[in-house]
Amino acid sequence: MSRFQRFPTAPARRILVCRAIAILVSVIVVSLLLAMSGRNVGELAHLVLTSTIGSRFGLEDLALFMTPLLLTGGAVTVTRRMGLWNIGGEGQFYLGAAGAAGVGLFIHGPAILILPLMALAAMLCGMIWILLPALARAFADVNEIITTLLLNFVAGLLVYWLATGPWRDRVTGALASTERLPVSIPDLWGVVHWGFPLALLIVGGLAAIMSSTRWGYEVRISGASAGMARYAGMPVRVRIISAMLLSGALAALAGMFEVAGTVHRLQGGMADNFGYLGIVVAVLARGSCLAVIPAAFLMALILDVGIVLQTQQVAATVVLAITGLVLLLVAIADECAHYRVVTPATGRTVRKAS
Amino acid sequence: MTRTFPVLRKNALLLPERRRFLKGAGSLAAGGLLNPLAAHAATPILSLPPVKEEDALVAFGHTGPITDGGWDTAHDMGVQAVRKAFPRLRTVYVESVPYSADATRIFRQFVAEGANMVLGTSNYGDFIKDVADRAPEVAFLECDGTSVTRNLGWYYVTHWYPSYVIGIAAGLMTKTNRLGYVGTFPIPSVFASANATLLGAQSVNPACTMQAVSTNSWFDPQAATQAATALADSGCDFLCGITDEPAYLRVAESRGLKAAMWNLDMRRFGPNAYVSSVMLDFAPFYIEQVRARLNGTWKAAGNFLTMAHGVDRDIWGQTVPENVRTQADAMRDRILAGYSPFQGPIRDNNGAIRIPAGTTMNDMAIYQWDWGVQGMTGLG
Amino acid sequence: MADPVKQGNGTPPVLQLLGVSKYFPGVIANEDVNLDVRPGEILGLLGENGAGKSTLMNVVTGIYQADAGEIILDGYGAEFATPQDAIRAGIGMVHQHFKLVPAFTVAENIHLGWSETPKRTSRAVLEARTRELSERFGFPVDPAARVETLSAGEQQRVEILRVLSREARLLILDEPTAVLTPQETRELFTALRAFRAKGNAVIIISHKLDEVMEITDRVTVLRAGRNVGTWATADCSPNMLAATMVGHDIQRQDLHARSGDAAPVSTAPVISLRDVTVRNDQNVVTLSDVTLDIFGGEIFGVAGVAGNGQRELTEILTGLITPSAGTILLDGQAAPSGAAAFAKAGVGHIPQDRLNSALAPSLGITDNMAVREYDRAPIGSGVLYRATEAHALAETIAEVADVTIPDFSMPVRNLSGGNQQRLVARREMRIARRLLVAAYPSRGLDIGAIASMHRYFASLRDEGVAVVIVSEDLGELLGLSDRIGVLCGGRMMAVLDSITADSEEIGLLMGGRTSGASVQTEALT
Repeated sequence: MSRFQRFPTAPARRILVCRAIAILVSVIVVSLLLAMSGRNVGELAHLVLTSTIGSRFGLEDLALFMTPLLLTGGAVTVTRRMGLWNIGGEGQFYLGAAGAAGVGLFIHGPAILILPLMALAAMLCGMIWILLPALARAFADVNEIITTLLLNFVAGLLVYWLATGPWRDRVTGALASTERLPVSIPDLWGVVHWGFPLALLIVGGLAAIMSSTRWGYEVRISGASAGMARYAGMPVRVRIISAMLLSGALAALAGMFEVAGTVHRLQGGMADNFGYLGIVVAVLARGSCLAVIPAAFLMALILDVGIVLQTQQVAATVVLAITGLVLLLVAIADECAHYRVVTPATGRTVRKAS
Repeated sequence: MTRTFPVLRKNALLLPERRRFLKGAGSLAAGGLLNPLAAHAATPILSLPPVKEEDALVAFGHTGPITDGGWDTAHDMGVQAVRKAFPRLRTVYVESVPYSADATRIFRQFVAEGANMVLGTSNYGDFIKDVADRAPEVAFLECDGTSVTRNLGWYYVTHWYPSYVIGIAAGLMTKTNRLGYVGTFPIPSVFASANATLLGAQSVNPACTMQAVSTNSWFDPQAATQAATALADSGCDFLCGITDEPAYLRVAESRGLKAAMWNLDMRRFGPNAYVSSVMLDFAPFYIEQVRARLNGTWKAAGNFLTMAHGVDRDIWGQTVPENVRTQADAMRDRILAGYSPFQGPIRDNNGAIRIPAGTTMNDMAIYQWDWGVQGMTGLG
Repeated sequence: MADPVKQGNGTPPVLQLLGVSKYFPGVIANEDVNLDVRPGEILGLLGENGAGKSTLMNVVTGIYQADAGEIILDGYGAEFATPQDAIRAGIGMVHQHFKLVPAFTVAENIHLGWSETPKRTSRAVLEARTRELSERFGFPVDPAARVETLSAGEQQRVEILRVLSREARLLILDEPTAVLTPQETRELFTALRAFRAKGNAVIIISHKLDEVMEITDRVTVLRAGRNVGTWATADCSPNMLAATMVGHDIQRQDLHARSGDAAPVSTAPVISLRDVTVRNDQNVVTLSDVTLDIFGGEIFGVAGVAGNGQRELTEILTGLITPSAGTILLDGQAAPSGAAAFAKAGVGHIPQDRLNSALAPSLGITDNMAVREYDRAPIGSGVLYRATEAHALAETIAEVADVTIPDFSMPVRNLSGGNQQRLVARREMRIARRLLVAAYPSRGLDIGAIASMHRYFASLRDEGVAVVIVSEDLGELLGLSDRIGVLCGGRMMAVLDSITADSEEIGLLMGGRTSGASVQTEALT
């Protein structure tokens, strides 16, 4: 007599297997829907594969997509470890892009000096942008979800104003963006710039900070149990502020990489929802920094598939639908991973349980 | 007839304006002083090899949904005409291409799928130029663009001529001598549109002034309605503008005013108020460019679609008096014969002479207009 | 004590378990358990932590399904695929941790997830229905009150009412008195007897043998997942039950006796409070003018009815809160500020709510065991946190605490309450060089675990550490402490020598020496 039974913990391997099945199911569902709308799924699948993981061109695009997703996903994951949500990645991304562009436009010098300066300026701007929500959270218990979210809109408009007003392209007389930045992050492989390996390194470093520093330990404890943090006398407020500042800096760095590596000009709309998609990445990564890498890869793949499908006259909203489907099925898979078939193991006693 | 501008080095500096800038704001390519790639502009023009119709793929990237009833619908009508003219040709399109790195990805994907020709129906600037530079065998065209390289050209409609003709009608039909302009963003195409209309009106009715309002959106019926209502309340009895939808026409209809529109025929939304529209027709240009690409004669260039060849006034509305039609159409005929009404002296709204007597503003200068003419308030 | 309703021999038991077994991978939770509950009786279910009581009750209430054996309800076989099936069959369970929605009112909680809740309804209707139910079953509640504002005893009443409203004929209570004051316990027992008098049945899980003796009609004892016997309560004694539970006779140790090489009681106090007053967020005085010296090498007991300043006193002693007035001296010096500084100075703390205050339930054992030593070598090194050293520490603690842990990354909430308590106690004893403060250390523990916990404290005392124990169990305090302080209304009523103190006197002090004093003593004997 065997049956399914829910267990309180699910081993990582089971979660992985269940998620793989979930992604397979979502591929099947999407294929079925496309087939029902009269498309040749075989051809589409071939095109999708060659345009994403099956060609150098596709891999370049994936890496470009992943670069900001790694950082914004890491940004949200840092706050998740603290039990908080930074929904403001989009705004910090914009501020980072603006800070980096400001340095790039108005300070001239060799790239080797200017690029690190741009990164510093970006992180500083991102931290300033999240400072208010962080202080409000730490000292007044104001919900950071609302404050960080609302500041996104302010940041978006601020960048529009900069790009169309004081920093507009005066050389060409254009009103929509700044001039092309004189320095850019050097290309590494095709259109992939050095921001990609850097972002991977940063996420790896983040994982190390979280697991192997006292700060990471305190953030972990404070995020998991406010009661225990208080009991152990941890400086919870300081940890809230520092975790949120780190999060803001990471999202802002994503903006710097995008402006200095990919877009080369500061302009409205350039954040491309990477801040919000970072939340999806963090949810997929389940709070683990290293898992941000495969999660960002999956998200990049979905976005890239979306672009391919769009050129095959599938509406852009389908991408949203696919993202939602994958998230839903992954959530179901995570729950399913808790269930195991139990066969009574009569006679094989290891120890008693309550 | 399409006037083709030869590619000159100075083109890199003559930077006109895009049309849809705040939808995402493509960055202008060119930047000849900064961008070493602009050196392409000076290289000899090489034509691309011919392609058989059945082997060819032409791709379009639209800035909005093709069902918007305005700008994108007008472009899509051109795409459909291309399909009809070349039945064996494959065409693909993507709607709502954002002004971000996603635009680059979409254009790159077009190239990866084997496109021989890629058209962006708005100013994608670097996003399209970066792709063009890496795909020398593909022809690129950018609407409202600025750069011309070996395989990237631009095209735009000279909407200021029909605007001037409609302006004459406005000058004759207004009783309060106050025109209202529902603008979007303070960008050159809006300056050119509003200035041309006001100059046309002042040519027959020097007392005319224009009040402009910017709604900061190409498609926001609510904001446009509010702006139009405010303009009507302030005494404007003739509304014009540059939005993608007919909200201010409805306001004019309900308030008993007159209105001139953009993009397409919109008289069904306000038959009594409707005067005319700046009508867009990209079909002949698209067919001609695609044919040139297939034949192997396509060359990268900057192209203005001129009066009656891509842009024109719409058939006059039912309430436009005969004498108004005659007088306005007389100017249309003169323009078609080669006349430009944009002649000095033209003063800005501070009263300073910007275009001296004896000088004519050419299309390039109008394409970059960034100041309001005398009598204009709310713009420049 | 009211007599159980007499039943004819032909009346089948309300619930009968025949050979019920439940296995988890590699673990036998229950094997071949036979048990029956008759109408009109209260059955006590006893067993050590981990004896399989909770699993068995989860089988009965449909949360788990038995791997072997039969459940017979009123003489007919029954199978519960879901908890809802069990509820429909008239079996209701009140868990130790209440399953109520804190932000909802009592009426809303009662009607939540209930098929008889009217489809279209209003607040007034729900409250009227709740009032009616509350009168019918004799459990007074305020239908409009929000659950989060209620005391533990009131919340328990809501839980029981919720179960009873589903027409339960068999009520299962898991450690119902653990969170109750003596008065609330007495009210509960009165209500249970009334419920029994109507011919219903109750299964009560408890570690408190005195209460088992008082309220139950029969007792079933589980050991290692098996039923070791069922007796009429009248035939039992607390000692006999305790011995049956652990499987051998419990040797009552005299913990007052110091070992030969025990450190003497220090001459200077380890910690001193001088006129310490604490006000809460509402500016109400919760601890009033307490002056106290606690010496190394002594066990200081704190007696009192829960909610009379015990929490504030433990938090003052461990640096979690600072006094609104007065001073604290640690080894004669002004005490440092903050719980971390206290811990560093050698103050250990076993708080009342272990799972949520002393542990991070969702984190692994390793993270939880490192919390007191992560900032010092070998785990902490500069800014670094060495996970391997933390793991070694967790293994050490688990070993001395005698807790077997299959996987140190397993969330600590998956351990039984007893094991959590052992681990926390051992973790705190490691750092308690000066002082260990333990609030209700035996709550939720079985007799064997309590005995070893007491031995821990005695050995710590013998090492010269000051130990403060807060407890409601006067027997525990009298048997263990050298001195006993009595709290009432935030005031330290008196500090007594436990050799000369008697429980009568302490009871009077706990009641504030005036009104209700007699009631208090009765509840505590």
